[in-house]
This record gives sequence, C-alpha cells and structure tokens, in this order.
Amino acid sequence: MSGDEIIREPMLEIYIFEATQLMEQLEEISIECEKNKEIGTEAINEIFRVMHTIKSSSAMMMFNNIAVLAHSLEDLFYYIRENDAVNIDFEKLFDLVLFGIDFIKGEVSKIENNNNADGSSESLVKKSTSLLKDMKETNGVIIKNDLSEKREDTKYYISSYGNSSNENKQKYVARIFYEDGCEMENVRAYTVIHNLKDIVSEMYHIPEDIIESNDSVELIRKNGFLIGFSTTAIKEKVEEELNGIVFLRELELQQVDEFPQELKALKAKTKIVLEDPEEPMESNKEEVPHINKSGKQQSIISVNISKLDMLLDLVGEIVISEAMVTKNPDLEGLQLDDFNKAARQLRKLTNELQDIVMSIRMVPVSMTFHKMNRIVRDMSKKQNKDVELEIIGEETEVDKNIIDHISDPLMHLVRNSLDHGLEEEGERLASDKPKVGKITLEAKNAGGDVFIIVRDDGRGLDRKKIYDKAKLQGLVNKPLEELTDKEIFAYILLPGFSTNDSVTEYSGRGVGMDVVKKNIDSIGGTISIESEIGQGSTISIKIPLTLAIIDGLEVAVGMSKYTIPITSIRESFKPKENEVIADSEGNEMIMIRGEAYLIYRLHQIFNINTKVTTSTDGIMVMVEDNTKAACLFVDSLIGEQQVVVKAIPTYIKKAKGIAGCTILGDGNISLIIDVNGILDR
Amino acid sequence: MNLVKRILITDDAVFMRFSLKAMLEKCGFQVVGEAENGAIAIEKYKVLKPDIVTLDITMPIMDGLEALKNIKAFDKNAKVIMISAMGQETIVREAIMLGAIGFVIKPFIQETITKAFSKL
Repeated sequence: MSGDEIIREPMLEIYIFEATQLMEQLEEISIECEKNKEIGTEAINEIFRVMHTIKSSSAMMMFNNIAVLAHSLEDLFYYIRENDAVNIDFEKLFDLVLFGIDFIKGEVSKIENNNNADGSSESLVKKSTSLLKDMKETNGVIIKNDLSEKREDTKYYISSYGNSSNENKQKYVARIFYEDGCEMENVRAYTVIHNLKDIVSEMYHIPEDIIESNDSVELIRKNGFLIGFSTTAIKEKVEEELNGIVFLRELELQQVDEFPQELKALKAKTKIVLEDPEEPMESNKEEVPHINKSGKQQSIISVNISKLDMLLDLVGEIVISEAMVTKNPDLEGLQLDDFNKAARQLRKLTNELQDIVMSIRMVPVSMTFHKMNRIVRDMSKKQNKDVELEIIGEETEVDKNIIDHISDPLMHLVRNSLDHGLEEEGERLASDKPKVGKITLEAKNAGGDVFIIVRDDGRGLDRKKIYDKAKLQGLVNKPLEELTDKEIFAYILLPGFSTNDSVTEYSGRGVGMDVVKKNIDSIGGTISIESEIGQGSTISIKIPLTLAIIDGLEVAVGMSKYTIPITSIRESFKPKENEVIADSEGNEMIMIRGEAYLIYRLHQIFNINTKVTTSTDGIMVMVEDNTKAACLFVDSLIGEQQVVVKAIPTYIKKAKGIAGCTILGDGNISLIIDVNGILDR
Repeated sequence: MNLVKRILITDDAVFMRFSLKAMLEKCGFQVVGEAENGAIAIEKYKVLKPDIVTLDITMPIMDGLEALKNIKAFDKNAKVIMISAMGQETIVREAIMLGAIGFVIKPFIQETITKAFSKL
C-alpha cells in the first residue's frame, strides 16, 4: 500500500513476526497466571518454550541483549519446572516477566523501524538472576534431579561383538581435537564412544567423566579426547569411523601393543558393563502425550497484509471491469440472450470472489481486547484499585485495517474508565457497590456495523460539571435544560476538554477523548456516550465492518460525480423557494422542522462549473456526523450503489473533504465525500 | 553418490525452520518438508521418507526426544540430527544413546551447518 515500505530481509521479517507473536502470547499467559496466583505445568512449559525460542532466534540474529534476557528468564522457568512445589512470589516473578516482555517488544519495534536494538537488558537480567537465587534459597536446591544423573554412568564397554574372538584384536590409541568454538565437546566425545562401541571390545577414555563433570569440556579443549580401545576391525575401518567425526580438527591414531599408563590405570578399576543399546530410557520430561495431533495447525498460513491489500485492489478492479464489459454502451439495443446469461454467471462469481476476499481480511477483535488485560493490570496495581475486566464477544470479526485503528482509542477509553470512572475502594463501599470495580469490553455485530462498547460501573459523568466547563470555554449558548444528555456528553469529545482537575500519569491531560474521536472518525465510525451519575458510563463505538466497500449515494455536480457514504446521510429533498436564507456573513442556511442547517454547495467547495446554482434547481442532501448536521447542495442524484473504496494516490497531498475515490461502472472516477472534513470547515 | 539428500526439518519456531532451510539448501540439500512439532514430524517422516530428519528438542505437543524414539521405532536406520541449545547436554546425550547420529547447537551459522551435515 504505502510506497515507502522498507523491504527487509525475509529472515528478519520472520524474526520480527514470530517474536511479536510470541510476546503477545506470553503476555496473555503471564497475566492469566498472575491473576490466578497459580502457574500450571502447561503454562510453565509454554513460557519456558517461548523464552527458549526467543533466545535461539535472537542469538542467531545477533540481538544479544534480547538473547541474554531470554536466557535468564528461561533459566528461571527451568528451575520452576524442575521443582514441583516451589514457593513463587507471583508478583515479583510476573513483574519481571512483563518488564522483560516490554523490553523485548521495545527492541523488536526498534528493529522493525530499522533502528539499532541498542537497549540494555542488564538490569533485568540482574533482577532475574537474583530472583532465581532467592527462589533457590527459600526452596532449597533442585530436588528432582535428572534421572540420568543418578544412574551410574556407563563409561566402559564390552560389546557382544568383541566377545567373539580374541586373536585378531588390535589395540589403538586415538587423541581427538575438536575445532575451536564447536561447543559441547563432552557430548561430542560421548558421540564418538557411542559410535565406536559397536566395533570395539574394550574402551577407555580420558577424561573419564564426560557428561557430569563440567571440567571435561575444558580438558578436552586443552588436551584433546584420549581413547584407547581394542578391536578386530581393520585399521582403515577405524580411521574411516574416526574421520567421520563432525568438527574434527586433529586426529592422532596409533596402533599400539600396550595401552599407555594413564589408560591402563583406568583398566585396573574397570567395572564391566554390558551395553544394551536398546535399553529403554526414561525421558527427563514428564509431559509428553502420545498423540498424533497433526495437520490441524498447519491448515493456517500467515500472509503479509500488503498482499491482501493488493488482492482486494485487484478484485475491486475486476468488479469494475465486469460492469464495464456487461454494461458496455456498445451493447445497447442488441438482442444478446447468451451473452446476458454468461454475464450473469460472471457477475455471480465476481460477487462471490469479492465476498471471500473480504472474509479473508476479517480478524477477530480478541487480540486487541486481550491487550487491555495488561493495561488494566498495570493501572489497577499502580492506582491500588481492584478491577475486573470482563470481555464479551471477542470472536466478533472486523476488517484488519479497522482493527489497527481501534486499538489506540480502546486503550484510551479503558484508561479513562479506570482512572476517572472507577472510584477508590472506600468510595465504592460507601455507595453500596461491590469492592471490585468492573470494566466490560464488548463487541457485537448489528447489521453492517460492529459495536464496540466500553462500560464501567464507576461514578459516571457529571452532567452539570461538563456543562459548566463547556460554558466556561465558550462552547455552549443554550441553557442546561435544553440540552439532552447525549449532547452534553458529546462535549468531552472536543479537543482540550477535560473535567478532571488533577492530571495523572494515565489520563487527564486534556488529550485523549478528542484523539479517540479523530481515530474513530477516520474509519467512518461514530461514538456515543451514555452515563448515569453514580452508576457508571457506557461508551459505544459504531464502526463499519470494512473500509474497503461502502454503500454510497452517487450525486452529480457539473460534469463530476461524487459519492456520499450512505451511513452519514439523514435525508435528501428538493428545497422550496424562499426556504434558503442567508445570515449577515453570507452563510446560507435552510430551515427544516424549526432548525437551521448550514448549506455547503459542493460546486463552490470543489470549484466546479455547473449550470445548477439556483437552490430550487438542485437537491439538498442532509448529512451528519456525531454532533453536527448540515446540507450539501448538489445538482442531482444518480443512484445508490456499493463502491470499492480506493485511496487517493499519494501524489495528491491533502484533499480536505475527500475521503477517497472509486471507479464507476462506466470507467469514470467518483470522489468519495468525507462528511466530517466538510462539516469541520 | 550424486543423489541429492532429502531433509525433513522439525522446529516449532518458524524463524528456525526458515534459517535452517536456507542454510541446508545452500549446502545442496533438498528440504522436502517442515514440521512444527514431534507428532507432525513422525507423520511426515512416514510419508516423505526423508534421508535425514532434524529434530528440535524443545517443542510443544511432542518434544524432539519423544519424536526420535518414535521415528527410530518406525525406521531403525533413520538418520536423525538433533537441534539443541547450550545447557541441554544431558538430553543430547540421551538422544545419541537413542540413535541420533549428530547434533547442532543453536545459535548456528552457515559454516556450522555445512560442517555438521557434510559428513553424512
């Protein structure tokens, strides 16, 4: 869509996508766990796994700050996982985890914006380390050790293969050096003896303890891994086997008559263990259900939204082309039975295609809703208010573009409710309300619109207070009694309007509600506020299902055509003579049912030549946005139709009063009127 | 043998699958499938019959070790490479015991992958 979008390496793109998704997921789990003061095995595993993934991916992308932090959190949850009944300081733990999430999110968004991920996670890592230490101190060391650690290690082997004959046995001594930086040298050494054991009859190695001892890694790096073994296999076979070792830097292989002294010493204290490679091992993980749950998750793929935008654009073009072909003026007056039949089929299919593309772009609001959990948690903690967030209808779907626009407004509204709406505990108890405040987030479908409702059971809006404030700012000239609740509450949507005298960290700075309104306006939505003092407030946002297709009224002005969104039209009528009056400044107005409405002549606004200038020759279309209503004067009405909205090309900087454009069936372009833009003139 | 080796990648992280796939393809391997957990890896192994399977250790639904056991039970000649991280030594050793032929440690670079897979 936007031409200046940065093209990133696909690897980075995937990293950003996955990290963002994992952080959202983690945030949700964390808040849930903290709320319930309980952390189940599944949740622990999940958090552990997320951290593990983030650690590895970040390390590979060289985002070390993120990797180190993820690692320390992984350690923390490893400890919790391995110790069944630890005492967890939930508040401390999840404060840390959530701070960690914020840090990682911040860094990822830096990366996304092509900045350096230069934040330091040092203090968080320190906190995590000290929390782990505290936990270990209060709970004691790891109780439930790996089973494998308790088991006597099998350091010496005599395989069945070796028992067969003693005559042809040859003794070898091999010293293996691994490449620098290959890591886990001890496990690599273990791999060697594991692979050799099938062809050797006895084997000794130094260092002896290659798994349990941490020193073994260092020793192998310094002195190499020394193995002595006897085998009936020919030398070439032995060499081939040893040269197949991954990350082999140097191999010294000697055929010897007698093992050197150091290996002999081991032989003296040998305990023979007959190796049974098929011995069933105990997994050191307890929860691995044996289910074949395949396929299900794979049926979902993720697609870049810009591709969907392109697809939608294309479908829009197809819909238009279809109309251009089937309604082509060349066909007029012709008897075309077969053509019409085929054309009908084409129309049916293009409509279906359009529906499907639209449905692809629909996403449930649940993600956006669940983000509010975090805000409620953080704020209720800071302000010491006990708050419950109820979410209803999170499965309601809206267009992806719209979701992006409602996230911020919703955040403002929830903050407002918590900050201004809900009372302190004492005040609530005094007015017979439950101790815990309640905020409800609801989404529901109604016709072609979606309603998003934020409701709280707080103190409600004070009608009188808002009126006084509005009067003080010179916004009203009517007495209080003449205004409806709706009209009065609408004042709080105006820029700079705030009834709260004290400014808190979260709200009350006078910015907020007007920004909410602006955001909602931009997607063609409306806000309405209901409130009862002492009972709480309800803010309903009505938004269209999609931005891409709207119902519009086609009107003509001179040679041009315009589309007015049906949602903002109240009525249209032919004005009678003398109905139009002008005030002293020359602003035209019309009286309808005792109310005066301003008239905007579209031909004047857009500088268009038309013969229709007398009011009785044209048509008035009354439009409204939240608070205002006015009449648009146009030449004539053409008809109502669904149009595919296209953005105005970027080379047109700013066109006030125009929301976009659409291509009509005959190939002409029609500009879509931005009613808000015109009423705000 | 000039046959291109066919590989099945198993990892729950899209990023890891993507990176590993790119690196393996650079080494001349053909990545024939991807699985996001052990259970899917087993299913895909049976269908695709790849020459090599990579198994991440920490995965949801079914982890790498469990998948290794199952794949080995189905085909005892299966060539499995574990994808591990530092700190998982014990699990890697167990995997080797169960028949994994090698392992790679995350984070890895192209060179690591080239070396770890070149001798197969």
